Amino acid sequence: MESLIAKGNAIQRLSNEKQKKFPKAGPSKTSQNDHTFNSVVKHTSLPRSFQNIKSLPDGAVPKHKHIANKKLRTELVRNSEHIATSKALLEDADMLLVEDSGKMEVEGEMERTWRVGQNEIQGGAGQEAARGRKEWKLEGGPYRSRYTRNGRHLAIVGKMGHAATFDWQTGTLHTELQLQETCRDITFLHDQSHFAVAQKKYVFIYDRDGVELHCLKAHIEPTRLEFLPYHWLLASVGNPGYLKYQDTSTGQLVASHRTKLGSCTSMTQNLHNAVIHLGHTNGLVTLWTPNLAHPAVQLLAHLGPVSSLSVDPSDGGRYMATAGKDGTIKVWDCRNWKGCLREWVVRGTGEPEVEWSQRGYLGVTSGGAVNVYSKPTITQPHHASSIHQPPLYLTHPIPHRPLTSLRFCPFQDILTIGHNAGLSSILVPGTGEPNFDSMEADPFEGKKARREREVRSLLDKIQPDMITLDPESIGNLAPQSKLTTATSSELNPAALGSAKSDVTYARLPRYERLKVSGKADLTEEVESDEGEDDNEEGGDNGEKKQKDKEAREKRKMRGKGKSLKRYLRKQRKNVIDPAAVAIRNKLEKQKEERRIAKMQEIGRMEKTKPSALDRFKRTEKD
Amino acid sequence: MVKISVLQHDPSSHLPTRPGDPTPISRNLNPNMHPFARARERTRALNAAKLDRIFAKPFVDALEGHVDAVEVLAKQPDSISTVASGSWDGGLIVHNLPQRSRMLHVPEAHKGKVSGICFSENSKLLSCGVDRNVKLWNFDSNGDEPVNVFPGKAAFNSIDHQRSSQLFATASNLVQVWDETKSAPISNLTLPTSTETVTSVRFNLSETSILASVGSDRSFCLYDIRTGKAERRVIMQMRSNALAWSPTMPTSVLLASEDHNLYTFDIRHLNAPSNIYKAHVAAVMSCDWSPTGTEFVSGGWDRTVRIWKTGQGHTPEVYHTKRMQRVTSTLFTTDARFVLSGSDDGNVRIWKAKASEKLGIVTARERAAIEYRGSLVDRWKMDKEVGKIARQRHLPKPVYSAAKLKTTMLDARRVKEERRRKHTRAGESKPTAERKKVVITEQS
Repeated sequence: MESLIAKGNAIQRLSNEKQKKFPKAGPSKTSQNDHTFNSVVKHTSLPRSFQNIKSLPDGAVPKHKHIANKKLRTELVRNSEHIATSKALLEDADMLLVEDSGKMEVEGEMERTWRVGQNEIQGGAGQEAARGRKEWKLEGGPYRSRYTRNGRHLAIVGKMGHAATFDWQTGTLHTELQLQETCRDITFLHDQSHFAVAQKKYVFIYDRDGVELHCLKAHIEPTRLEFLPYHWLLASVGNPGYLKYQDTSTGQLVASHRTKLGSCTSMTQNLHNAVIHLGHTNGLVTLWTPNLAHPAVQLLAHLGPVSSLSVDPSDGGRYMATAGKDGTIKVWDCRNWKGCLREWVVRGTGEPEVEWSQRGYLGVTSGGAVNVYSKPTITQPHHASSIHQPPLYLTHPIPHRPLTSLRFCPFQDILTIGHNAGLSSILVPGTGEPNFDSMEADPFEGKKARREREVRSLLDKIQPDMITLDPESIGNLAPQSKLTTATSSELNPAALGSAKSDVTYARLPRYERLKVSGKADLTEEVESDEGEDDNEEGGDNGEKKQKDKEAREKRKMRGKGKSLKRYLRKQRKNVIDPAAVAIRNKLEKQKEERRIAKMQEIGRMEKTKPSALDRFKRTEKD
Repeated sequence: MVKISVLQHDPSSHLPTRPGDPTPISRNLNPNMHPFARARERTRALNAAKLDRIFAKPFVDALEGHVDAVEVLAKQPDSISTVASGSWDGGLIVHNLPQRSRMLHVPEAHKGKVSGICFSENSKLLSCGVDRNVKLWNFDSNGDEPVNVFPGKAAFNSIDHQRSSQLFATASNLVQVWDETKSAPISNLTLPTSTETVTSVRFNLSETSILASVGSDRSFCLYDIRTGKAERRVIMQMRSNALAWSPTMPTSVLLASEDHNLYTFDIRHLNAPSNIYKAHVAAVMSCDWSPTGTEFVSGGWDRTVRIWKTGQGHTPEVYHTKRMQRVTSTLFTTDARFVLSGSDDGNVRIWKAKASEKLGIVTARERAAIEYRGSLVDRWKMDKEVGKIARQRHLPKPVYSAAKLKTTMLDARRVKEERRRKHTRAGESKPTAERKKVVITEQS
């Protein structure tokens, strides 16, 4: 028996001994005396992710010392170590970024980038890049266009019904349709294999070869289309003022929201949270998600109709730009809707269009020209002269008014402008993201890769009701339970019995139960508490004391029901009721008497001898 | 002068150089390039959890052959294929699992039920029965006659062989130690005060002279055969039906109790169990450890087989079929991949230890995908939907309703206790920890 127990204990002792012997199983120790290791290490190298990273700073890995459970602690430490190493390794991920973005830089003080014309840029660009400068002269105009997510394919549609999709780099035409009715917008679905056109009455879906696949009769008189690629949702808004979401993988109409704001001609999506932004004719901008029947955000952006909107994809969807028919452009911070960051007035008449590029350049059409602005100045709050336009980055005049659409090509320095006489592509150095991720969007993907991506993205399809303003809410801690209200404010066991907490001990959440029984691990909260204490100590010391006193008395009172006190407790303290006042006085008096009696008992106060005049003393009415 | 550079991608670096080459992959880990990364990972985790449940087909096969209920199962310690089963009609079968064949089949090994089986060395087997005999069989020579018979004085309930020696122990109204070469017991082990019936006896696997037994007087007893006497005894609230020593932790022992729970005891601290395993809704009839000691299996009177992780006292994996009756014996195979259950309907069933495991060859890519899915589910198990799918198991209606009723009753009891405490003087009665309620006394 003892031997068995010794054996059981031996397990522990053995591990302790081992720890003493080999305090750290690091490569530094083994490399000196381990022959196998030394012979192997010459010919092999561990991947960086497996190597022991020594340079982790001390504070990077929390030790979780307050956790008593050893297993849990080791797991937590291992987790945080893993996170810290991945973070450290992520710094090396810059090595993956091999390509440099385009740019335009001036050398002299007096030079300006906007003075550089397209011919000069084309001359300065490489042979491959220069091919991006194009003019498509088409009839049936004003044209709108849309790129696929990898920037390889372009879909265009003219007002009179000319629609075409093509690979703009190689020039292969996928399809060309003469729809012979008014077409207002076009968008690719998940990739170049399908596209949707907003036609006179309905939305139609065509495949790559131009075969009509579906007529979505639920979308009536659509004006603008958006496709949410990660949710496989086609959103449309039209003249009746309904925002409709159609799931293109299942075909279901997911949601149909009545905006109650009339015809709507501007729409965009925030790529980072899949919220749809609508601009209305009364100057309102509304933000929509499929699971809310009312706008998540509603703001009055312009005094006239809103003509165009765009959300900056470069900064996690933080900035939004709006253009109104009154000729103002405004830049908003999507986290804080209190006024715009910057606004300015564009020259010329017509409906200005805005579009952000991947790297945060803002393209604006104004009258007969396209202006491009660069990042830091357009988002900086600018109070001094609020309607001056920010410094221009590039400008390009186009004689064919109206200019109806602006699209930056993803992963290229190209801006495509749709206008009355077709489309023109201009080169805007620096607007495209130089390094694409093959897992997300690859301009060079082949047939097989496209198929693979289609299947994968279908498997990873996010449910439409997960769209929220804050995409980080998924996988975060849930908000605090309502059950905790009774005890979370005070850690007082006595408070549990009071009438305030109507939740029984058994029904409380585990953490609350631990708190009540005094076993909760409060070490995690210590830091925040300390901060509060520092603030409180100045003024609320007295209050705290009183609280303690109250708690003590409450505990003392437990189990003793004194009718008078109970009566008093039931009376509101700030109501002056003669009966309550009298009782309060009586209790005060009794208390005083008790105190005096006690003092006399221990001999700290002399007994007052009754005098003859006592009989004339006024007695208070009871 | 203006410096101009326009972005251009070199196709030669992004396209395969020769036909048939893999397409080069470029990465950009900027989070802006990966919108909804977290939401997509959650979807993947959800799908992984669903796939896991779709592939969960644990039942492999049923071994027939017994006419009556299977009372006992035993595995050969040094083989992954040989398993013996004994039934209430006295039948004894030695199975070869991969071939589903019988290496030995004795229709009437004992009169009455076979109550215990254990393997000896050199393909020999000991069985005991209620006919007061222990019989030694050789299942290689395929003879129907026992090699040796050891007559006893009382009906035997259990038998266990010491590893790598000639000794074995039997349980009847007392624990006896025998030698294979001698026809009479070499020692009787009993506490002077006990008048119990010992239901199960097991040798410790590491310190092989230590013996543990459970009896019908709600006791759990430890003996040392070198001193020849009982060392410790623990009286519990309810009797235990079976016990098993942990194969890796020498001081850890598992008891299958009549009160629907399983208990692990650290024998250094017998005043309370080290863990309670609650999920069965009727008495637990048998238990067995996996060879690594990280898992164990239990079979219950509620017609279910449950597979537990050591240290996790709730939500075990649960197996059941419509035709499986009261599970009287369970076994983990020595390769830890399968679980065997013998039940009242006379069948020995083979189950996978991991319900969704794929049998057969798994390619490296498949293995990687399976591991990735597993870690995804583990990472997202706190998510409401993912956790629900990963956790939820279908139960037969009687088991489900019994579990519900049991929860209601226990809850009501707890709430009543709570209220009683609330209305008595403070500090008068303190709540007892569940683990402290199990053991009544510890004697030594």
